[in-house]
Amino acid sequence: MTVQTAATKNNTIITESAQRAKGTKTGRRKGKLIGPMIAFVVFMGIWQLVPTILGIKPFILPKPTDVLNAAIQDWDLLWQAIQITMTESVIGFILSAVLGIGVSILLASSKIVEISLYPYAVILQTIPVVAIAPIVVIWFGSGFNSIVMIAFLIGFFPVVSNTLMGLNSVDKNMGDLFTLYHASKWQTMWKLRIPAAMPYIMSGLKVSCTLAIVGAITGEYIAGIGGGKGGLGYAITVAAVQLKTSYLFACAISGAIFGISFYLLVSLFSRFMLSSWHESAMKVEK
Amino acid sequence: MGALPNEVVSFQGVDKVYNTGTVALSQFDLSIKEGEFVSFLGPSGCGKSTALRMVAGLGEATEGKVEVFGQNPKAVIKHSNDIAFVFQEANLLPWRTVLDNVLLPLELRGLDKVKRKEFAISVLEMVGLKDYLKAYPRQLSGGMKMRASIARALAAKPKMLLMDEPFAALDEMTRQTLQMDLLDIWKRENTTILFVTHNVYEAVYLSSRIAVMSARPGRLSTVIEVDLPYPRDRVNRKFTEYVDKASQSLEHSMGRKEWGE
Repeated sequence: MTVQTAATKNNTIITESAQRAKGTKTGRRKGKLIGPMIAFVVFMGIWQLVPTILGIKPFILPKPTDVLNAAIQDWDLLWQAIQITMTESVIGFILSAVLGIGVSILLASSKIVEISLYPYAVILQTIPVVAIAPIVVIWFGSGFNSIVMIAFLIGFFPVVSNTLMGLNSVDKNMGDLFTLYHASKWQTMWKLRIPAAMPYIMSGLKVSCTLAIVGAITGEYIAGIGGGKGGLGYAITVAAVQLKTSYLFACAISGAIFGISFYLLVSLFSRFMLSSWHESAMKVEK
Repeated sequence: MGALPNEVVSFQGVDKVYNTGTVALSQFDLSIKEGEFVSFLGPSGCGKSTALRMVAGLGEATEGKVEVFGQNPKAVIKHSNDIAFVFQEANLLPWRTVLDNVLLPLELRGLDKVKRKEFAISVLEMVGLKDYLKAYPRQLSGGMKMRASIARALAAKPKMLLMDEPFAALDEMTRQTLQMDLLDIWKRENTTILFVTHNVYEAVYLSSRIAVMSARPGRLSTVIEVDLPYPRDRVNRKFTEYVDKASQSLEHSMGRKEWGE
């Protein structure tokens, strides 16, 4: 009986505080939306006015309206470029996610391998992939394959180092608990280490999805189109050479919008994966 | 040395020295019989948790021998569910519901799915969490988490329950309720309980015997038999006498000069 009452009391407390949190949250959310919106309008206004007032030529600094016009005018080309970059970065990202997580699990499943390779996995993350991109082109030829490869490589190491860190972050007592029930190595891996690493894996994926786009666009600079159609990176190089600055801006902004959407999508996925337990994914904030 | 009748745990001249050179236990001898409730009472650093972990096979003696059911503890945990451990923190897997947490030991042992679920539910009912099967740990209060943790320990039907300061982080009200409930479970399930605590009242309220330990190096200083009927009355004169007795041996074991620290 005592338990029941204590529990019910507790429950009401939880709901109350949740409601309170909700109340303040909607208030805060309004402020959070209006602020950035005002900032955006002001920024756009200044951007529109400055070239007009100072008489700056559109090929040096196009106005927002110029950029919009360029995007509408060459929409077919632009949309095609966006699609190509999207394909390259999504494939690169999926490769880095699948291989990154897989390799980490294999590494972490053997103590000796892990101890010997873990420091390198952390160091490898700092390799400037862009610097070795030309080698990738030598190996995989110009065009699509190389670009995907570069997008994959750039996103791979953050996933590996985050996943490994997560797999090793298991609480000691939890480990003892599994030892006590004589859990096998793979039981401990599937039922304890991987779920415990989930927040780390998810933050690795978030880093790697934005990097994959950077990889794809720089990949296009370096690997060219190889007979196929070019993506945003290629379009940007061409636009720069032809001084079509407005179109260049349109390409860069499209890339940014795609980047943000991709990041939001991955964040949404991560929120879904962690919804049942992790505080960072919880809706009620303190 | 052969096992005494009904003896379930024996420490025979156990020393434990950690790599750092810290002597956690020195010449530790203790025999525990089936169905006893033994508390290890002592200041921090007296090796009480070390002793408990050895019984669970989570640490090895540097010198001497620890036997559980007449065997090496590591062999016991390998072949049976006879030993269960409750940690100071509830240690629930945050991504599993209460029911799934309780099912974990049964799952790891590969027991039949339907049967184990029925049993897990009955254990959760016993600890008063019947209405929280589908709740996640973060939705529970500290006391409820500890109940779930105890339920998980009981789910594998252990013969012996090892508890490492399980109620230390709880408030006094919750602690007292859980103490009462633990005694009910002990009586009903006929288990042997080894309980680590630094709380004198808790030790006297729960235990049939109290092993008072001293620190640096960890030694057994006295064993007090608590000859009071259950359920015990916390304001009874005899209860207070036992508390005094335990406090005195604790004080004695720590050495008076340390009180000033």
